[in-house]
Amino acid sequence: MTVVVENQWIQRFTELNDSNEELNAHGKFFTCSYLLDMESVKVLIDMHEGKVKNINLDPGPLDAYDFAIRASEDTWKKFSMPTPPPMYHGIWAASFQRDMKLEGNILVLMQNIRCLTTQLEILRVSSIPV
Amino acid sequence: MTKAKFSPVLGRYVTIDVEGEEYKVFYLENGTGQPLVCQHTAGCHNHQWRGLLEDEEITSKYRVIAYDLPRHGKSDPPSNTEWWKEEYKLSAEFFMKFIVTLCDALELENPIFMGSSFGGNIALQLALHHPDRFDAVIPVEAADYSPGFYLDWWHHPHANASQVCASGVWDLMAPQSPDKDRWATWFYYSQGAESFKGDLHFYSVDHDLRGKLEQIQGDKVKVIMLTGTYDYLTTTEDGRRTASQIKNAEFIEMVDIGHFPMSENYEVFKKYLEQALNSIQAVKA
Repeated sequence: MTVVVENQWIQRFTELNDSNEELNAHGKFFTCSYLLDMESVKVLIDMHEGKVKNINLDPGPLDAYDFAIRASEDTWKKFSMPTPPPMYHGIWAASFQRDMKLEGNILVLMQNIRCLTTQLEILRVSSIPV
Repeated sequence: MTKAKFSPVLGRYVTIDVEGEEYKVFYLENGTGQPLVCQHTAGCHNHQWRGLLEDEEITSKYRVIAYDLPRHGKSDPPSNTEWWKEEYKLSAEFFMKFIVTLCDALELENPIFMGSSFGGNIALQLALHHPDRFDAVIPVEAADYSPGFYLDWWHHPHANASQVCASGVWDLMAPQSPDKDRWATWFYYSQGAESFKGDLHFYSVDHDLRGKLEQIQGDKVKVIMLTGTYDYLTTTEDGRRTASQIKNAEFIEMVDIGHFPMSENYEVFKKYLEQALNSIQAVKA
């Protein structure tokens, strides 16, 4: 993926997030950073009060985040389909039944689970950067 | 002015004694005919059955009764004990005694028992231990064993327990289910955090019928299991495996629906429920 395409994806995801009615209504305390590990691509998302503060598609080894959601590229592709197939339709489903792993400070994930669940479903509109 | 619209569903309380504890139980009911007793899922309440309770086709043939288990909805914890001094951990034994006592109190003859999730698991337990009290059971989203959901996260004081419970079960529902019904189910789950973990003690710890399913007298109590393809906790493979070990049992796979079928998409659930009810009536014919 070229830098131009990467930037277009970041811009698209940010616009979808920041204009999302649910996140605007409930995201006041949605402040955290997390990594989406898709094998070939890693997406470091930094949130501040429900808005995207920064997205890094090339995080370095010392870039910090609160928690990570890791899965194979295939799992993320199915997860981000407009209508995902069974067992790929959420992070709980894919963790219990497929290869997704929730790692790091899971407490922060749980504290933000409502908004995080909504935000991850934006991937079904933006698709994923792989 | 728009004319007010009244539902035919009526609510009532009944006070019963279970193991020396007094419970004032709230239930909703509508219809006439064979009793169809409905148990909600863990950490939830009887509004999950709102579609069924108002379904004229079903209630013209069945007396649908959906109760709130104690500590859920409008059914309080026991009124004569200091329940707040003990950790709530639901057991199969209490769960069954409560249901049988309630059915006796309501003088229900030949009831069909239907429950989803932990309600489905207790349906299997009832079939094993009380085959003479029920005409049939419909375990929905059930299995012989369902470990892995008795989690501290449902109670963690550093997180918003209401949202953890409600959004934690979000993807137990199918993405095809209507938004308004998924969010209604989410809303119910935001109300039940204090009971959810204790309920799951039964669901994931105390309930274990592995090696016992062949003891269920399927010729006395008909067992028809229903499981949705989007249920990641008790999968269709779990349901099929469980039903295959019960004499005369049937398994029905429900396509494009999840773990709360009656609440997340009643229209889809209804066609499978009718199939199950027809199968029960066919046995009698």
